[in-house]
Amino acid sequence: MAIRTIEVRESVMAKNNEFAAEVRRRLKGASVTALNLVSSPGSGKTLLLERTLDAVGEELAIAVVAGDVQTQNDAERIAKRTHRLVQAVVTGGACHLDARQVLTALEAIDLAETRLVFIENVGNLVCPASWDLGEDAKVVLFSVTEGEDKPLKYPKMFRQAGVVVMTKIDLLPHVPFRVELAVEYARQVNPALRFFHTSALTGEGLDQWNAYLRSLVREPATA
Amino acid sequence: MHELSIALEVCRMAEERVGHAACGSVTAVGVEVGDDAGIEPDNLEFCLEALLAQPPFGGARPVIVRQHGDVLRLAYLEVEDGDPDD
Repeated sequence: MAIRTIEVRESVMAKNNEFAAEVRRRLKGASVTALNLVSSPGSGKTLLLERTLDAVGEELAIAVVAGDVQTQNDAERIAKRTHRLVQAVVTGGACHLDARQVLTALEAIDLAETRLVFIENVGNLVCPASWDLGEDAKVVLFSVTEGEDKPLKYPKMFRQAGVVVMTKIDLLPHVPFRVELAVEYARQVNPALRFFHTSALTGEGLDQWNAYLRSLVREPATA
Repeated sequence: MHELSIALEVCRMAEERVGHAACGSVTAVGVEVGDDAGIEPDNLEFCLEALLAQPPFGGARPVIVRQHGDVLRLAYLEVEDGDPDD
């Protein structure tokens, strides 16, 4: 038998990127901003979302897509803070959300009544960096109980992000974490990063975070 | 970490390219993996070997081509064309 070679040269992410483009088209059409929250497991994504919904959930008409490897625990926690739809996506073992899952989740959300969508990704600083979900920006949560050199260890994620939210800063007196060094490392990877220093427990820094969110939401296209 | 997802997508793309019925005639699947693609090449090869051993494929050989940058693409397929050699 003769062997012939078929040249393909097609990105493995091409299909995902098609879905991401469709997510982006729908969000833009409805003047909705989307943020993709990424972090290590346990950095405080769900708690930050709870506090954010408490403070500006209604004002900014926030909907949430909550991804998790197993259980709907995070989605159930978040749903207690809002009457708006919280879409749970259980990946069943997969280490990231993909754009097709987000597109499916958006089908159930009334975008005309929404101005801001949070996508809570699976806790993982590696894989979610490779999947475009159609978001406007990736927001990395970085807790002070982690090492300062996390940006150097996971540069792809920090390179792709627009914002870093440092979390659990109420613990700074108790942990050997040097904020200035962590910021320096992050800026080595991505000089354009914007930082927020927060404690969801004490509320420190959340006013600045909420003000940032207000600045992001677009006026409705019909306005 | 997500190499199995990538391997599944590579197999989907290969099947789409040659058609379901011809998957068994695929003998090699070439994938270019950049050193900044967030993929562990050996792990991807392992996952592809496992998937390509299953129907509709018939034991095609994965060929990982390492590159610089963040490239991650299905580069080529080698297929038995069914015609006897001259």
